[in-house]
Amino acid sequence: MIPIEYFLTFGAILFAIGAYGVLTKPNAIVVLMCIELMLNAANINFVAFAAYTSDPIGQVMVLMTISVAAAEVAVGIAVVLNSYKMKKTTDVNGLTSMRW
Amino acid sequence: MIVEYVWLVPLIPILCFVLVGFFGNHMHQGGGYLSIAGAAASFIISIAVSVEFWTSAAYTDPGYVTNSITWFSLGGHDVNLGYYVDSLACLVMLFASFISMLIFIYSLGYMGDQGGRKRRYFAEVSLFLTGMLGLAASSNMIEMFVFWELMGLCSYLLIGFWSFNHPEGDAKAINAASAAKKAFLVTRAGDVCLMGGMFVLFQAMGSLDYTVIFNTANLNAANPDTLFLASLLIFGGAIGKSAQFPLMDWLPDAMAGPTTVSALIHAATMVKAGVYLVARCFPLFVMNIDVMLFVGVIGGVTAFFAATMAMNNMNIKKVLAYSTLSQLGYMFLSLGAGGYLMALGMQSGDTALMAAGALGYTAGILHMANHAFFKGLLFLCSGSVIHSCGTEDMRLMGGLGKKMKITSITMLIGSLSIAGFPFFAGFWSKDLVLETALDAAGNGACGWIFLLLWFLGVVTAFMTAFYMFRLWYMTFAGEPRENAQKSHGESPHSMTIPLCVLSCFAFAFGFVLLFGFDGLFTIGLNADGLWQVGGVAGAGAVHYFLELFTNPYTYLTIILVLGAIFLAYLMYCKKTVDPGKFNKHGQAWLYKACASRWWLPEIYNQVSWKLGYGVAKCVDFFDRQVIDGTVNGLSNAVIGGGELARKAQDGNAHTYAGVVIGGAVALFAVALILFVVYGGI
Repeated sequence: MIPIEYFLTFGAILFAIGAYGVLTKPNAIVVLMCIELMLNAANINFVAFAAYTSDPIGQVMVLMTISVAAAEVAVGIAVVLNSYKMKKTTDVNGLTSMRW
Repeated sequence: MIVEYVWLVPLIPILCFVLVGFFGNHMHQGGGYLSIAGAAASFIISIAVSVEFWTSAAYTDPGYVTNSITWFSLGGHDVNLGYYVDSLACLVMLFASFISMLIFIYSLGYMGDQGGRKRRYFAEVSLFLTGMLGLAASSNMIEMFVFWELMGLCSYLLIGFWSFNHPEGDAKAINAASAAKKAFLVTRAGDVCLMGGMFVLFQAMGSLDYTVIFNTANLNAANPDTLFLASLLIFGGAIGKSAQFPLMDWLPDAMAGPTTVSALIHAATMVKAGVYLVARCFPLFVMNIDVMLFVGVIGGVTAFFAATMAMNNMNIKKVLAYSTLSQLGYMFLSLGAGGYLMALGMQSGDTALMAAGALGYTAGILHMANHAFFKGLLFLCSGSVIHSCGTEDMRLMGGLGKKMKITSITMLIGSLSIAGFPFFAGFWSKDLVLETALDAAGNGACGWIFLLLWFLGVVTAFMTAFYMFRLWYMTFAGEPRENAQKSHGESPHSMTIPLCVLSCFAFAFGFVLLFGFDGLFTIGLNADGLWQVGGVAGAGAVHYFLELFTNPYTYLTIILVLGAIFLAYLMYCKKTVDPGKFNKHGQAWLYKACASRWWLPEIYNQVSWKLGYGVAKCVDFFDRQVIDGTVNGLSNAVIGGGELARKAQDGNAHTYAGVVIGGAVALFAVALILFVVYGGI
């Protein structure tokens, strides 16, 4: 059996990559993709713990997260699409009208 | 027990005030009859209360009847609302309600042409009467202070009665308004002192009930320095209310009100409140001999200076106003000298000195009552003259004696009484006052001060007789001048009848001294060592005849009074002596000083401009800069903080994400540290 540390390390690396992308990538679509990476890093942790503790509730949680993530991506893409229609750009540094 | 219903005495006039105030326009004479009925009812109840009190056992044993309910409580201290009846309160209630009743009757004639404004007039005078009666019947100083202030308010309203639509034009209306303000503000200076005195006294005694604060044991137990301060401050209140030096200048200006109001202020209410206060606080004041010395000095100095101002004034009402100041000065001189002797006697245990001091107290009270009658009479007479001639300037009068027989005779009686002509009311009390002052002069380390004051008092007696007869001769004798020729004769009956009644009292009230007045209104320590007003037998007629008529100084004052009357006769009736010779035709320094009231109004103005306005500006600066500055500074700080903080919201999704992740990392780091430090969960 693969030790749980491998899964957790993999999840942490995936999360770090996602966080790095969110913080550095200018493209809104890439940012959304990076958020998906972070989400899935959490899912991997859920599944790993569920398998190792033989508790199916973690897998149930993952299924729910995937469905919620699908809805979230739909909303996110719609927002990006509309902002592109208004500003003709998907660069998050250009989308700063929601401020003081 | 009718004494228990003494609260009706102040209550009835205030009910009249409410009824007349709301419905006066629907009543005859603007509610005047109701006001008279109210004053009469108060007078009748006062008589019943007084008779019952003086015949009951309470009069001789504790010397008072008191009862009270709790008004409100503050921090464990009860403030009570109740009545306190003793001889002094009875006397004040009797003469205040009686004279007010006569003045109200007189007002029917005097204010008869005022139409719709009579409602306001009669409502306010009823409230004024309430103030004085309530003041006399109060059982503690806070309650008394309420009525004290009520009188201040009413005097303001009534002095300014003609502050709009004055019958003689706008200039007079403005004058009335400023006189009302002056009266209110100057007495306010005294009231602040009184309030401060009450606070200090409360601090020393823990209560302001008369039964507590005038209890000998409590007085002896309290800190003498605190009592000294409290006494001085309370006397400051009396100075303001009774218009003593240096707060005397509002009273002459108060002549801007209707003459009946002047009579009310001078005879029955208001200025008597200060004398009443000092007489009431006598047990407190004698705790320190310097306080009594101060009272005497203020009284003597005021008596003298006010009399000098009356010497050359041409306004009939102002002469009377100055004479009021002067006579009030006599009362304070008497109380001060009596208290001085009393305090000396208490220090040395000398009962003869204490008896002499008690005589001073009696003299002050008797002079207060006498003055109420003759000054009420004189003011009402002058009102009758003004009503008939339409002027207050004595230079425009003259020869009115033939046209106004009743007024001239009653005024003559009043003048003889105030001048101290033998056997008239003023004679008895004034001689006792001077005798007390002279008595005090022979005792104690500060006796020489009282010798000076006695001398001022004797000179004042001379001046009083002179200016009163100057007034009488200028008004009623000689040739009729301008306005006197247009005079429409004697006033209506509603005005002359009160004059006749008052003149009887102004002549005869002094005789009460011979029939036990001194026993009712003396003050002393009773068998239990407590202060008591009255409760002893009077010395009797023979004693006072002997005391006064074997005293050479009595003859001195009589001769001076007769001389002054004769001098006034020569100057203003026969005109064989030209007054212009003495004053260099109005150019003499002294004449100008008296005519300009010893520059007191200028001093007032200077003080109020330099000091009052300066203080006001400082306060304004403090208010605008410090208080407003604090508030504005706080709000500016909040606004500025918000301006700075909102910069954090830069709208960049990267920044927000960075903050979130940074926060999560920081939280994790803290959790890790805690985990390591505590070695597990």
